Amino acid sequence: MSLDLMPRTQTKFFGAVDYDTDSVFHFPSGLPGFEDHRDFVFLHVPHSEPLMFLQSLSSRNLCFVLLPILVADPHYRLNLTPEELFELELPAGREPLIGEDILCATLICVAQGEVPTANLMAPVVVNLQKHIGMQVIHGDSGYTHQHPLLFEEPVLSCS
Amino acid sequence: MWRRPGESLVVGESIEIEVIEARPNRVKLGVVAPESVSIVRKETRIIRDENVTAAWSIDHSAIASLLRRFPH
Repeated sequence: MSLDLMPRTQTKFFGAVDYDTDSVFHFPSGLPGFEDHRDFVFLHVPHSEPLMFLQSLSSRNLCFVLLPILVADPHYRLNLTPEELFELELPAGREPLIGEDILCATLICVAQGEVPTANLMAPVVVNLQKHIGMQVIHGDSGYTHQHPLLFEEPVLSCS
Repeated sequence: MWRRPGESLVVGESIEIEVIEARPNRVKLGVVAPESVSIVRKETRIIRDENVTAAWSIDHSAIASLLRRFPH
């Protein structure tokens, strides 16, 4: 019996983590501000749903925290341009299905003492088949880059 | 300032912006500038700053606080 060893990487939040190569995505242009980071892995972290962790494979110190876009905004509508479909190697002429053709997630920002925000203007989109990703920037979409995540805080029981 | 396709404007001594094509709701611009000058769409600059904040703003306690917000 052969023992397939999973590759391992150092992560920002979870120490050394074994990962599945199916979870690795190549970002040909990186992300704005982090153009040198081209390869990322979505970490599988038990009991952390729906949060997602996009860890850079070139630096342990870079790990984005994301939410599935439909968790941040259940009515979110993604309209990829023909150029974006091309860059993601997705078929032209039809919008890809979230969860089937693509994964679409939003970067979360937590400024101290403030409500966390989600960047709905520029979601991260990955082609699930080709394992290519990019951050699409839709400045004219009507979505903000600082969408407040106003979920109810759990009620603390006082007895 | 009004410009037609094929016309340009000049910023300082070394930057030239030309209107290449004008459509009802968008225009195609050409920019000639020194290599040291970065040219990006304004929203790309905004997203770059937001990405940098997102990358460095989250620590373990922020993750714990986020997880408390979501039933799972």
